[in-house]
Amino acid sequence: MPLTMAKPGEVLTIRKITGRDEVRQHLAELGFVVGELVCVVNELGGNLIVQVKESRVALDKTLAARILAS
Amino acid sequence: MAIKIALAGNPNSGKTTLFNDLTGSNQFVGNWPGVTVEKKEGKLKGHDDVVIQDLPGIYSLSPYTLEEVVARGYLVGEKPDAILNIIDGTNIERNLYLTTQLIELGIPVVMAVNMIDLVRKNGDAIDLKRLSKELGCEAVAISALKGEGSRQAAELAVAAAQHRRTGELPHVFTGSVEHAIAHIEESIQGKVDARFLRWYAVKLFERDDKVQQELGLDDTTLAHIDAHIADCEKEMDDDAESIITNQRYAYINTVVGRAVQKKARTEHMTASDKIDRIVTNRILALPIFAVVMALIYTIAMGSTGFSFGTMATDWTNDVLFGEVVPPAVSGFLESIGCAPWLSGLIVDGIVAGVGAVLGFVPQMLVLFLLLSILEDVGYMARVAFIMDRIFRRFGLSGKSFIPMLVGTGCGVPGVMASRTIENERDRRMTIMTTCFIPCSAKMPIIGLFAGALFGGSGLVATSAYFIGMAAIIVSGIMLKKTKLFAGDPAPFVMELPAYHIPAWGNVLRATWERGWSFIKRAGSVILASTIVLWFLQGFGFTDGAFGMVEDNNTSLLASIGGAVSFVFAPLGFGDWRSTVATVTGLIAKENVVATFAVLFGFAGEVSENGDEIWGTIAANFTALTAYSFMIFNLLCAPCFAAMGAIKREMNNPRWTAIAIGYMCLLAYCTSLVVYQLGGLVTGEVAFNFFTVVAAALVVLALWLLLRPNKYEGVNETSYRAKAAASSKA
Repeated sequence: MPLTMAKPGEVLTIRKITGRDEVRQHLAELGFVVGELVCVVNELGGNLIVQVKESRVALDKTLAARILAS
Repeated sequence: MAIKIALAGNPNSGKTTLFNDLTGSNQFVGNWPGVTVEKKEGKLKGHDDVVIQDLPGIYSLSPYTLEEVVARGYLVGEKPDAILNIIDGTNIERNLYLTTQLIELGIPVVMAVNMIDLVRKNGDAIDLKRLSKELGCEAVAISALKGEGSRQAAELAVAAAQHRRTGELPHVFTGSVEHAIAHIEESIQGKVDARFLRWYAVKLFERDDKVQQELGLDDTTLAHIDAHIADCEKEMDDDAESIITNQRYAYINTVVGRAVQKKARTEHMTASDKIDRIVTNRILALPIFAVVMALIYTIAMGSTGFSFGTMATDWTNDVLFGEVVPPAVSGFLESIGCAPWLSGLIVDGIVAGVGAVLGFVPQMLVLFLLLSILEDVGYMARVAFIMDRIFRRFGLSGKSFIPMLVGTGCGVPGVMASRTIENERDRRMTIMTTCFIPCSAKMPIIGLFAGALFGGSGLVATSAYFIGMAAIIVSGIMLKKTKLFAGDPAPFVMELPAYHIPAWGNVLRATWERGWSFIKRAGSVILASTIVLWFLQGFGFTDGAFGMVEDNNTSLLASIGGAVSFVFAPLGFGDWRSTVATVTGLIAKENVVATFAVLFGFAGEVSENGDEIWGTIAANFTALTAYSFMIFNLLCAPCFAAMGAIKREMNNPRWTAIAIGYMCLLAYCTSLVVYQLGGLVTGEVAFNFFTVVAAALVVLALWLLLRPNKYEGVNETSYRAKAAASSKA
């Protein structure tokens, strides 16, 4: 499911990151890669604060929807 | 020869703290050539021949932001003697991602594993020897905040630079990827510096267009290389860039598995997470933010017992530049027998003009100090996140909010704060709209008219902020639909640093840097323009002879003002005095009040909001013309200092002209509409040609706001995309 649907506090594994552009590359540089654990810390109007590799990253709705995790 | 050491690392890894610790006050702050990314270098304490070059915080050498472009350009182009790579020990995997790329550059690297105290507190252990052996470069544990190990790290970097020793490259890539990279290395061997062979080969594998262009390879070689990449992509069923990223992380995972012992986390929520739960809570986020801001503005600019900024500024204005400096200067000038015109220039022109601006400095410093604390603590990043949801609706990103926030204090640092916005288009739009927010220097103008014509109603000031916000929103929506600004704002992605207690050294330094750049502007642009204004105001033609004038109604300034005042007639203030006040407002907005005082012949010092001349103002303005004048002065071109900042940040004459032209145009149109249509309603203005113009402007504005966006979906997100587009063209 896309990260936008994840419950806060739930630890998930990234399965896929859709789209092929440089934003995806930037996400990878921040630690969003397939197989990595993520956890939604907080949600605000669809935008998320996500915990990945020991850091917190703020993502907007459209980006969060591109990260599929389960 | 001086040794150059580059300090590189992720954002929020403690790089600034380490840099300040290593260089102390021996810093030189400037800009990187051609861009407005701040460039800092300094001499290592106790080593006059060692220059430490602070690079902007970066996540990778595949540039996404302007900062990353600059950092990569420096490392590849200028080739420092060594790289001191600062690594956040609490987030070692993500930080090592950059390290693996730095090592490939073939420049000696020393790893400084920062925040070691936190690592220990978490119960983790990092085996530095093992880490060093795996990656083939020295590693040292430091705590930049406590100054622990920083010196040692620097010494190691100096030694590495002197010996030019680079360890054996770690085996990051495996299988067919390594095979393909080795093939690429073979085909470009001899064409590049042997030390950088691996870096170029990996970048070619990623199909990095900058490197492709730089090497100027012929078509057969390129085709040969591409065949290898394509084979690899097919085998791995992924694109080249992702293959490299994945292998890097896989490699880092093995290294971290061997060198780092992590204690199993029992508590998943960290303190920062808990704070974020409250601070970015969907219900509490905005109220908390409003309270924080209200507190800051009360302390910096309010009029309560703990409004330290206001107290300090009042003292500077009333005592320092009121009772102390001017009498002292004029006394001194008299004692040395200075010519009256020269002492007039110095006391009434320079001291009064520059003093008026310097009076704002204490208030600015208090505001900058508080904002620097918020930034250092980590709250500012959250503010951008909270505001993104709202700002995105009218085509701006949440990151545009911080410049506007700072702009309520002063437009100069506000415009400068736009640097953190990675998308060039968003940044330009932010620069253009930041000055619409009434800055503290525009408050006296509002105070003057509110007092003179609106019975001191607080609604006038409120409406000024409202107009500023509306101007930003309207501009955002209208401009996004033009070709210049087409496209959605860049997707919002931003790392939120862990909350921490402010590092006072960093906070004070940041405050001082911002304050000092404000003072420098006051000393240059404002000094020059006050001299010009003093001359224009004090000299003129009387009875056909040129000379000093007694009555400034006959001054050069009055003649010039009278000649151009017809421009403002449709706005309701075609009087030459209003024109002159508007022009002097360009020097510093609070000058408007002082100019009115002088031009209406009020002898003596006026208070900040000019209550001595309220009567005269009320006689010369109606509520409507006053409001129209106020709107024009709030929205039009900002003061020279802010225009200078716009010019510097735009770094392009055309864009500077567009920004300032747009502000003036919007101000003119808004005032015209308010005066003409407002006047028609109140009966103050008869139906005339400009009524039609005003009505047409309203229709045009509505069309610009509501027309469909034909550029919807056009997206150019970053420098990397732009470079790719231009290389294809």
